Amino acid sequence: MTDILGKTEEIVKKAKKLGAEEVIARTTFGKYKQVRFSNNQVDITVAWNDYVTDITLARKKRLVATQIHDFRDVDASIKQLIGLAKVSEENPTFGGFAKGSFSYAKSQPDKKLEDLENPAELVFGAIDAAEKEAGSKVDSGGILFTKFEDVYQVSSEGPVGTDRRSAIEFSIRAFSEQEASGHGVECSSTLKNFKPSRAGAKAGEIAKLARSPKVGDEGVYDVVFDPLIFGSIIGQWAGMASAFNVLVQMSVFVDKLGKKVGPKTVTLKDNPAAYSVSQRVFDDEGVPTKGNVFIDHGVLKTYLHNTSTARIFKAKTTGNAGLVAPGPWNVEMEPGDMSKDELFEDVDNGLYLTNTWYTRFQNQAKGDFSTIPRDGIFLIEKGRIKQSLKDLRISDNVLTMLGNVAGISKERQHVHWWMEADPPSLSPYVLIKNVHMTKSR
Amino acid sequence: MEEEIADYTLDYAQSKKVEYAEVRAQSQVQDRIILRNGIVEAYASAVDSGFCVRIIANGGIGFASTNKWSKEEARASVELAFKYAKAAKRKDKIVFAKEKGIEAKWSVGQKRKIENVAPEEKISAFADVDKALASCGVKVAATISQCSMDLITKYIVNSEGSRISSFVPKIGAYIFITVVEQGKTEQGYEQFGYSGGWEAFGEWKIGETMIHNAKVLKDVITRARTVKAGDMDLICGPEVVGIAAHESCGHPMEADRILGREMSQAGRSFIYKGGKYWIGTKIGSSKVTVVDDPTVEHSYGYYAYDDEGVKARRRFLYKGGVINEFLHNRESAAKLGTRSNGSSRSINYDREAIVRMANTFVVPGDFTEEELIEDVKNGVYMKSFTEWNIDDKRFNQRYVGKEAYMIKNGELQYPVARPVIETTTLKFWSAVDGVSKKVEFDSATCGKGDPPQGVPVYTGGPCLRLRGVFVK
Repeated sequence: MTDILGKTEEIVKKAKKLGAEEVIARTTFGKYKQVRFSNNQVDITVAWNDYVTDITLARKKRLVATQIHDFRDVDASIKQLIGLAKVSEENPTFGGFAKGSFSYAKSQPDKKLEDLENPAELVFGAIDAAEKEAGSKVDSGGILFTKFEDVYQVSSEGPVGTDRRSAIEFSIRAFSEQEASGHGVECSSTLKNFKPSRAGAKAGEIAKLARSPKVGDEGVYDVVFDPLIFGSIIGQWAGMASAFNVLVQMSVFVDKLGKKVGPKTVTLKDNPAAYSVSQRVFDDEGVPTKGNVFIDHGVLKTYLHNTSTARIFKAKTTGNAGLVAPGPWNVEMEPGDMSKDELFEDVDNGLYLTNTWYTRFQNQAKGDFSTIPRDGIFLIEKGRIKQSLKDLRISDNVLTMLGNVAGISKERQHVHWWMEADPPSLSPYVLIKNVHMTKSR
Repeated sequence: MEEEIADYTLDYAQSKKVEYAEVRAQSQVQDRIILRNGIVEAYASAVDSGFCVRIIANGGIGFASTNKWSKEEARASVELAFKYAKAAKRKDKIVFAKEKGIEAKWSVGQKRKIENVAPEEKISAFADVDKALASCGVKVAATISQCSMDLITKYIVNSEGSRISSFVPKIGAYIFITVVEQGKTEQGYEQFGYSGGWEAFGEWKIGETMIHNAKVLKDVITRARTVKAGDMDLICGPEVVGIAAHESCGHPMEADRILGREMSQAGRSFIYKGGKYWIGTKIGSSKVTVVDDPTVEHSYGYYAYDDEGVKARRRFLYKGGVINEFLHNRESAAKLGTRSNGSSRSINYDREAIVRMANTFVVPGDFTEEELIEDVKNGVYMKSFTEWNIDDKRFNQRYVGKEAYMIKNGELQYPVARPVIETTTLKFWSAVDGVSKKVEFDSATCGKGDPPQGVPVYTGGPCLRLRGVFVK
């Protein structure tokens, strides 16, 4: 371990000697495994071993990067990179890499996830759990994913650190009929807290409720969002809090700092804490990560920054680098004071949505978008689920929806799913008033 | 890339009790440039190379990849893949559709080699787009540009005697702009892609295209009117036809989705065994033929052999309005009792090859664009789109117009702001009564797989005239 850190440090020294002004090198030894299953059977089990050193250097405000996969051709790679920096163009807004010597929180990986012997075994119990809820004809598919990374990072500007990052994720979609399905996820950084059967049972439960769906009606509804779909939504909101996205106008939060963007009940924090599948103790510049409240009781408090964007906005880095663009690691919504059942009770005529996909924007600065709920879509009447629905689309606006948050549950779930509920989040059940739903005609 | 390590890996895999083994090695020389408002944010240049082994044993599939080129790593990868294949405990054993072993070498030529173009020329080519935008008379408030250049060398060997080497240079660009006029914003993007050399850059005419985009977005703010919602005729330009062909024909015709293998991610399909739709079922008007064709020369989705070593060919997906042929890899083909049609693609050595589109487009008809418009009394011409999406069974889709015009009595009138068509696959393709002669392509990155594998594709087609569809 010390040897790898030493070799990574050596790269930084060589790059400095060859003319780089600032350098960051990060060596990652990653072991990843995935089981994919469908129709209740394992389709493929995959293992990837990845060994990589990412080198990013700056010379006269020119930022260039490369990757090497062993420590043999370091000199040639650095020389090439310096050559590239010489002919690249100056970026006047490059603010340098973070400077200083930092102490980091202790990494809390689960060593058991480094060499998990037979990941497929974890899948079978969850398939059974879905069957138990929805019956033996239920048809389940999904993935189990594990990650174990050793990270060694050295910056010429001071930060030096090692981190070990582990994660295990499970995603299962169960079909009780061709058009009736439910989806459950289970995410953890440790095997100990990982209960895939919980996800299987939830997928089965929703799939059972979703039987015999009718085409829903267009209209304006009060909507209870399940943690999985709300994880997709707050992932979008958090991405828009990236200062880089604000700079390129791919955000509704342009010129909104210090302004009210939602009700007082809404507090959103980015926090790659030890429980999260995106746990990390430092960012890509070596700045210690921390919890950053970016929406505090409805007011936009900060953007998420690296050193360069912080300088542009006359702020401090929030430990969210990305060397080009800062971004969220793990979004947490502060819990509310209602139970899930109380949220439902507040709905006379509305919907319960459990999952979504394919979110696309007309205009990210304005926030106009649509997204397509999938899996269980339910009509709620007088606080109770009345009917399973299908074929509806949310066609609305980010700021409008954020402003219409009317209730947040106490219970929260750590969710992450594919490209859709990403980045990971700690997401509650949420009631949003007056959501516009459309359908095909 | 070390072919001897790949050969060694295959030999070692075959020393096990396997039904099938395959090794795919890939080396990718990558250049990436990111510019914000014409200024280089970062320039990245690297070589990514490694290999994977895929094994069928006891009817299960195991896969392992590494970027360490050593015999020790090769043996470890085989052991892992073999162990995982056996651990699958499948009731239905996986087999692959039969293929003969093939020995082949193929490549895509470059008129001007990407590797011979100096980095500063690459940078200035993109920075010039921003300079052109700055003086086009439209207030462009922000741009973000990304350029990718990849030199991809592959070597595929399998236990049936196939040995295929290839070299493909690929170049792509993505430009996103925000226009602010009268205190209002509009946004749009364009993507460009090509298999071949730097000559692509001249052919794309990015500057002209982005200036046109900026002017269209300005028009949306300053001149466009909203459409009065109702049933009307709709002319879809090639860009809109292309996305519809991709989303509501290409995707639902992927056999792995039909069989449920993507059920938890990209979803299933409205086409399924025992359902209303299957091969031979009518899905559109007789004017509609949609193909997927990897053999379009220099296209973004070009390949001569797929990643399972099957020779590429044109696939007729919807033919004369009838569901005709699914996209298959060897696994899905065996399950449905047919042969692979060469649709197996992987984005890199560390990803399994799955069923993918290549270049999906509507084949041309016999109208001119003007003739299609002439016969519309009241309608909209949607030339390009902004927001779009489709449900995971690929039946309910929505396209929101970017450049769009009202048509009255056969003539284009004023720009229309964000017209929306939200309809089903059946209604969209059934409403087509006219197809123009000229096919145009757009480049796109198709998302599928877990972990996600964005593969380069073309979408395209001629103009289509749809009768009596609901536009809002």
